[in-house]
Amino acid sequence: MSSAPSVVRQLSDDTINRIAAGEVIERPASVVKELVENAVDAGAGRVEIVTAGGGKTLIRVTDDGSGMSRDDLALAVERHCTSKLRADDLLDIHTLGFRGEALPSIGAVSRLAIATRHASEPHGWEITLEGGLKGEPRPAGLARGTRVEVRDLFFSTPARLKFLKTERAEAAAITEVVKRLALARPDVRFSLSGADRSALDLPVARGADARLVRIAQVVGADFPDNAVPIDAAREGVELVGYAGLPTYHRAASTWQFLMVNGRPVRDRQLFGALRGAYQDLMRADRHPVVVLDIRLDPHEVDVNVHPTKADVRFREQGLVRGLVVGAIREAMARAGHRASTTVGAATLAAFRTGLGPGLGPDAAPPAGHHQAATTPRGFGRPESPGAAAGRSPSSYGRDPLRPSGGVPREAWDWRVSPFRPDPMDRAQDPADGDPGQSGIDPIPDEPQGDAPLSGFGEAMQAGFAPGFGVSADIRAADPAQDAERAARPLGAARAQLHENYIVSQTRDGFILVDAHAAHERLTYERLKRQRAEAGIPRQMLLVPEIVELPEEDAGRLAAHAGALAEAGLVLEPFGPVAIAVRETPALFKRLDIAGLVRDIADDLADRDASSRLDERINHILSTMACHGSVRTGRRLRPEEMDALLREMEATPNSGQCNHGRPTWVELKLTDIERLFGRS
Amino acid sequence: MKVTVERAHLLKSLNHVHRVVERRNTIPILSNVLLRAEGGELKLKATDLDLEVSEAIPAMVAEPGATTVPAHMIYDIVRKLQDGAQIELATRNDGATLDLKAGRSKFALQMLPETDFPDLTAGTFGHRFSLSAADLKRLVDRTQFAISTEETRYYLNGIYFHTVEAGGELRFRAVATDGHRLAQAEMVAPHGSEGMPGIIVPRKTVGEIQKLVEDPEAKVGVEVSDSKIRLTFAAAGEGATGAVVLTSKLIDGTFPEYGRVIPQGNDKELKVDRDEFAAAVDRVSTISSERGRAVKLTVGDGRLVLTVVNPDSGSATEELAVEYESDPLDIGFNSRYLLDIAGQLETDTAVFRLADPGSPTLIHDFGQSNALYVLMPMRV
Repeated sequence: MSSAPSVVRQLSDDTINRIAAGEVIERPASVVKELVENAVDAGAGRVEIVTAGGGKTLIRVTDDGSGMSRDDLALAVERHCTSKLRADDLLDIHTLGFRGEALPSIGAVSRLAIATRHASEPHGWEITLEGGLKGEPRPAGLARGTRVEVRDLFFSTPARLKFLKTERAEAAAITEVVKRLALARPDVRFSLSGADRSALDLPVARGADARLVRIAQVVGADFPDNAVPIDAAREGVELVGYAGLPTYHRAASTWQFLMVNGRPVRDRQLFGALRGAYQDLMRADRHPVVVLDIRLDPHEVDVNVHPTKADVRFREQGLVRGLVVGAIREAMARAGHRASTTVGAATLAAFRTGLGPGLGPDAAPPAGHHQAATTPRGFGRPESPGAAAGRSPSSYGRDPLRPSGGVPREAWDWRVSPFRPDPMDRAQDPADGDPGQSGIDPIPDEPQGDAPLSGFGEAMQAGFAPGFGVSADIRAADPAQDAERAARPLGAARAQLHENYIVSQTRDGFILVDAHAAHERLTYERLKRQRAEAGIPRQMLLVPEIVELPEEDAGRLAAHAGALAEAGLVLEPFGPVAIAVRETPALFKRLDIAGLVRDIADDLADRDASSRLDERINHILSTMACHGSVRTGRRLRPEEMDALLREMEATPNSGQCNHGRPTWVELKLTDIERLFGRS
Repeated sequence: MKVTVERAHLLKSLNHVHRVVERRNTIPILSNVLLRAEGGELKLKATDLDLEVSEAIPAMVAEPGATTVPAHMIYDIVRKLQDGAQIELATRNDGATLDLKAGRSKFALQMLPETDFPDLTAGTFGHRFSLSAADLKRLVDRTQFAISTEETRYYLNGIYFHTVEAGGELRFRAVATDGHRLAQAEMVAPHGSEGMPGIIVPRKTVGEIQKLVEDPEAKVGVEVSDSKIRLTFAAAGEGATGAVVLTSKLIDGTFPEYGRVIPQGNDKELKVDRDEFAAAVDRVSTISSERGRAVKLTVGDGRLVLTVVNPDSGSATEELAVEYESDPLDIGFNSRYLLDIAGQLETDTAVFRLADPGSPTLIHDFGQSNALYVLMPMRV
């Protein structure tokens, strides 16, 4: 035995570093993340990032933080060396980094140069690391702070290099990382530039609403108008930030900025909580925009789950989820009938022109933005033309809001306006680009993609004989009462058009209400309220349905039996690997019990909670609501219209229909004046 | 093929067979009805691959042969032709067209070759017996409402027919359940059914059986194999020559041990007038606006109070005089289910056997035990 040659040996440091690098450094964006985190941890007030070739050629991060002394510098590039962990306590983490892996990992797979100057040193020092080979510190001239330069990333691991995405995609990923980090630190100036990207400069935001200013810088200038502040606390866990209105939604979850104690995370369970919070306010394939920071005692959370620290584990998972869901729901209910301003902007765009101003080069959607830029009146498109024009300075030259603008196609032109005399030839107008698409959905409850190049319901208009009038007409009968109504948020109803849309006048503009969608939502909210009051009737089963499941799933289901029973599903353990379902919600006509139970088990495994039953019950309610609502085509009496508006004002979540589309849009007088070039 | 038939005969027969044909088919020939002329009759056959119905009618055959044409279309044509018309069906030599002539109406229908037409009748049927159409219809009618439509539990998507030893004699029994309620109807086992396997007859076949029973006095021949059932409905009425033959695949599954859910110890007996009860349930459930509407039964001391509460619109109660001598009891049911069962009861008095609000309730006719129903309560 002892004569056998030894096959087990210790790996060389170089190899170890490269393996570690594989975990920490997946792509250029991970380098940026590590370096910017270091800069922030070093107390920098300004962090400057320069990239080239999507970060593959060059990443340079310069900060004005504390810097390092010569000895520290030499040690910093060694594995598991860090200044950030006090007394080796992994549970007491106050900095972004702590593992001491970043610099040696980066050094192992690139040409790394670090120049730094600590206040105690007369001059700076520089050290290089090439494919893991460490040089000697040399004197270097620079001001206080640190400059880290990473060149030729992954030159020593060609396999990794091959799996990188395009320069453009990698550059976009870097932007994403910087944005996420910047959101947490409005007190730090971040600038990101390079030949491979459009520059990003986020100046220091000061004052009481510094955070909101930074959020506007990062997420979009229209976000603050379309978000409600969240500030909730429960048992030592705080949730602060902003949650976007349900009508302000995007096609991907990349616009959900979540932080835990200021650390950006992308945690599945937290995303699940968001989904739960917005559950019946939004279509399932749309995602809310939120910026939320969860603050809690560092001992209550484990961020050391994964080297990139994107996942976290909370000691009290249920508490955190409950807080997120509860706080957002409560805030949305408070926001009541509000719909996002982008909806109004989108409406304006529909009035303005056939060619969406969003096509302007400067209004190009940021990376990770997923909706075609050619949809000027996509409901709730945050990158709305008005907003885009408003915040990208270089678009002023071709500001579509100005009729006298240099580009005629983008100016207001009655010939491409939906209000021009003959609606039929619009569809044939080749300049329209995409004919056959009508503007406003004739049947508002059909989920549809955003109609490109829309007008104002030509399809519906075309069906009318010439000379059709308003469906109802309210002349102010009682001036005193009328003034009082006009002062309300949704104004005084003036008329109903096309047997659906209510026009109401407010003090400073007018409002269009989709009567069907609004009434559907009101009915739905009423049904939900009744459900909550009366409880969910349960039909007992003649024979319990036995569903076989893996032991962990069965255990999880049994642990959640109480909550499931409240939602109408009564089950109990049946041996170790099965559960017996005894009662199901009576609302379900046909039910694949086994399928439902397995889906719930998956949800529980995934996020420790399941809103599936509620979702299905709400789906039934929303179908009932749809059938029980005023249809398009029904003429409303003046009193009915006013009653509808007043009820909308009083009902939570009435700003959007069950599919997340707005139930009303507002045009401010200022907007209307701009339409006529009077601004 | 060239054949002349009377419109009345053809219409009646097409009416029997065309229902089997699905409106939309991915296999074109399944939209067609097979026509075969030979030996003084025209035989019609239609199938959906699970179920096949065939029938023969008298015809003047000038030239024997066979073809297939779209079933729903020829049915609609024949339906709209004048009463009493003589219909001539002749295939053209091109092999692609069937000419249909009646008086001054002429139609040319596209054909598909009959050789492609599927045949379900193959196989040997080991068990044969016959019973009266009335008995068969009763078994089917009493249980059909409880068939499950939930497809993942496919073995509940039909009626379970089997023989069972009960009370010292062999019974032929039909059972259906959807997990919420169960219906069981039975009769003395017909001669020849001993030893037949338990079979599950699918919902669609059940529906066809109900429609094909036209003359309750007639006999229905039943043949059973492991995977199929064939029912022969003897010709009834004037002008009928051939019998209607229905062949169906069976559901390949095991029907659950239903005996366990039929409560034996329910000792609280409630007797109520069936029609009064059904009308009262129907009335009080008006107040409820949604599916799964629950009605609460409060029984005690010779009276039954039905209550429905709808938090949105109000409430309804109705009191009925009943025979009940046990302890008072509150129990909730789905009103739809109560009405379904009340509609099946044959005697004027309905008998409820109750245990407690969380246990199955047994409902049956007064004084006889050929059918019984089990209903699971609701929790409100």
